[in-house]
Amino acid sequence: MPSANALRIQIERTLENRFPAALTPMPRTVRQVATVGILEVDSLLSGGFPIGAISEIIGPSTSGRTCLTLSFIAQRTSEGKVCAWVDASDSLDPESAAANGVRLRQLLWVRCASNAAPGNGKPWSPLDRALRATDLLLQAGGFAAVVLDLGDVAGEHARRISLATWYRFRQAADQSRSCLLVLGSAAYAQSSADVVLECAPLVAGDTNQPVLESCAFDVQLKRQRSASSVAAIRKPPASTWTAPGAWAMGACATGDRG
Amino acid sequence: MSRELYACLYTREFPVQSLLRLRPDLRGIPVAVLDGRAPLEMICSMNRAALETGAVCGMTRLEAERIPGLRLLLRSPQCETAAREVFMECAANFSPRFEEIGADTHCACMLDIAGAERLFGTPAVFAQRMRQALAAAGFRASAAVSANFHTALLKAATASGVSVIPEGQEAVALANLPVDALHLPEKEAETFAIWGIRSLGELAALPEVELIARLGQDGKRWRDIASGALPHLFQPAEPKLSLQEFCEFESAVEQIDSVLFIAARMIDSLVTRAAGRALSLALLNIAMRLEGGRSHQLTLRPALPTTDRKFLLKLLQIELASHPPQSAIVALTMAAEAAQAGIVQLGLFSSQLPEPSRLDVTLARLKALVGDDRVGSPVLEDSHRADAFHMEAFAVGTQCAAIASPKPRMALRRIRPPHPVHVRCSNQKPVAFHDGRQSYAIAVSYGPWRTSGCWWAADDWDRDEWDVLIAQEQCAHLLVNDRRQNRWYLEAVYD
Repeated sequence: MPSANALRIQIERTLENRFPAALTPMPRTVRQVATVGILEVDSLLSGGFPIGAISEIIGPSTSGRTCLTLSFIAQRTSEGKVCAWVDASDSLDPESAAANGVRLRQLLWVRCASNAAPGNGKPWSPLDRALRATDLLLQAGGFAAVVLDLGDVAGEHARRISLATWYRFRQAADQSRSCLLVLGSAAYAQSSADVVLECAPLVAGDTNQPVLESCAFDVQLKRQRSASSVAAIRKPPASTWTAPGAWAMGACATGDRG
Repeated sequence: MSRELYACLYTREFPVQSLLRLRPDLRGIPVAVLDGRAPLEMICSMNRAALETGAVCGMTRLEAERIPGLRLLLRSPQCETAAREVFMECAANFSPRFEEIGADTHCACMLDIAGAERLFGTPAVFAQRMRQALAAAGFRASAAVSANFHTALLKAATASGVSVIPEGQEAVALANLPVDALHLPEKEAETFAIWGIRSLGELAALPEVELIARLGQDGKRWRDIASGALPHLFQPAEPKLSLQEFCEFESAVEQIDSVLFIAARMIDSLVTRAAGRALSLALLNIAMRLEGGRSHQLTLRPALPTTDRKFLLKLLQIELASHPPQSAIVALTMAAEAAQAGIVQLGLFSSQLPEPSRLDVTLARLKALVGDDRVGSPVLEDSHRADAFHMEAFAVGTQCAAIASPKPRMALRRIRPPHPVHVRCSNQKPVAFHDGRQSYAIAVSYGPWRTSGCWWAADDWDRDEWDVLIAQEQCAHLLVNDRRQNRWYLEAVYD
């Protein structure tokens, strides 16, 4: 009696001409990763965000998503690389970025939320401008990371971004080896995203203190395309971490793995 | 062997050639150039096609307009100056010793090419290469090579193509030229006509002493020129690099594509001239004279000096699209600054950085998309004022050595401009606020943090900052009380 393995090989050989891809597992792309700079998040992501792919960082306000993204950009700029921040709602705070270690000279900030139309007079919405700017930056290449900040864009508008756009971004990021981080309140890139990280506020500091000293955040890995495990995960891996205020001298991010 | 050898480059009909140099579309059709004040304009120069239509120099505008198919252009001194500089630069590429021979309707240049045979080949090859270089720059020129300065000049002015006169054969080469080639004064020309002297060969055959007795030293000079024996003290011009191009349109141009067509030729010429000296273009100033007397200026400053024509044209196209002129363009001036070509040291282990020329185009496109002042790197200002920063142009290559970045800290997401809110206070602490749509109860408020500054200036500030936690949303906000106006604003959200 033939073994199960031999039987499988026999069936595959019989059907390989008729259904060439049906029985062949998809080749898994093992991507290089870039560290975020937060120990808990790095261990959750098995090293960091993948290079040349789309990663989404989603969550409501005060969920630590901007802090996490700035930490990642700080790591990239400290390595001597240049990054871009495409700001759909003009909400980046340069002081916070500098406090997180981002080298501002190596950060290209594209502020898309101007109401005045530039010289060509085309009435693009801030979201349209942000998408076009991201496209240009990814096509230009050379940026280690491009952040598409849709954090304050209404979900009903951001969900209208076509799948073709995300697919194009994925291809461009892959070719230029840029990390495209999409910062939003919900996941928009769908199947084009390699990683989806959901952030949530946990607890905001000690209410008895005279100042807001720190915030604790919860982070869950909702999707990871390159995950080695094929078994269904009932509960996504999660972690918590804490960020002190910029004024809390000597303090540092702490956390524990959930 | 003679130690002197001169090459003369001679361009006839210079007014029309200077205008058609950047307009290749007009080269095949009859074009005449009018000079003088309206309505007394007369034809001063024309191309060969115009000559075949029957047009002649001195014809008035009314007479010229009767000739079917003849295109009339106005003479442009600026255009001629720019073209003359290009002509001289072309010549200077072959010899550093050159002398300009200026005139009204032609442009000529004499080069001392003694000893250049090893570099450029025989005199005939040399002259042919010079003609080809001028043709590439848009000029039709004749060339003559001779050991005598005046012989080369006379031959180039009267013959087309390339003429090489062997040493000792100067008198023979000039013998058949008319006496008019010497541009004699009217009285002496009449005298020669009475004597029956019509060619330079006949003039050279006159006895020297008798000629001096009748016409003085001028007579001796003309005789020496005709016999190819008059010496010349060569006065080389100082070669200077002035990268400027000018083009005046016959009618105002509204289409940007039409302007770019001419601009491409100008950029091409500037790049070629700079590259001839192993230089690149570091800056390009484009000045447009508009209809109604106004002007429009654009400046292109690539990150690295470049000689990439397509890249410069692309930058200009994007710049023109984002900053279009307010009315039609009458004239276009392009001036460039040259610099040493940018050198980038590449390395296998260096960081991944954007390519400078591609980054320039990308930045120009981004500026066209969102506005000039909204693309760049933020630079913090030395001030305690909240959100104090300004934007500077983004540049690659200023990165420092890799160092460890600090640990992450809470970040703010700014609301620009700050959103005015109504705040309810209790015990001098905010307990709730209303943003115009919804009310939020404040669970915890930290503060106040009072800051003030610039009390001596108009843009002073005096404010209390409160970090507040919203009860229902688990959200931290930054509320600000502007003490000067006693107003509350929602300025940022912690994230």
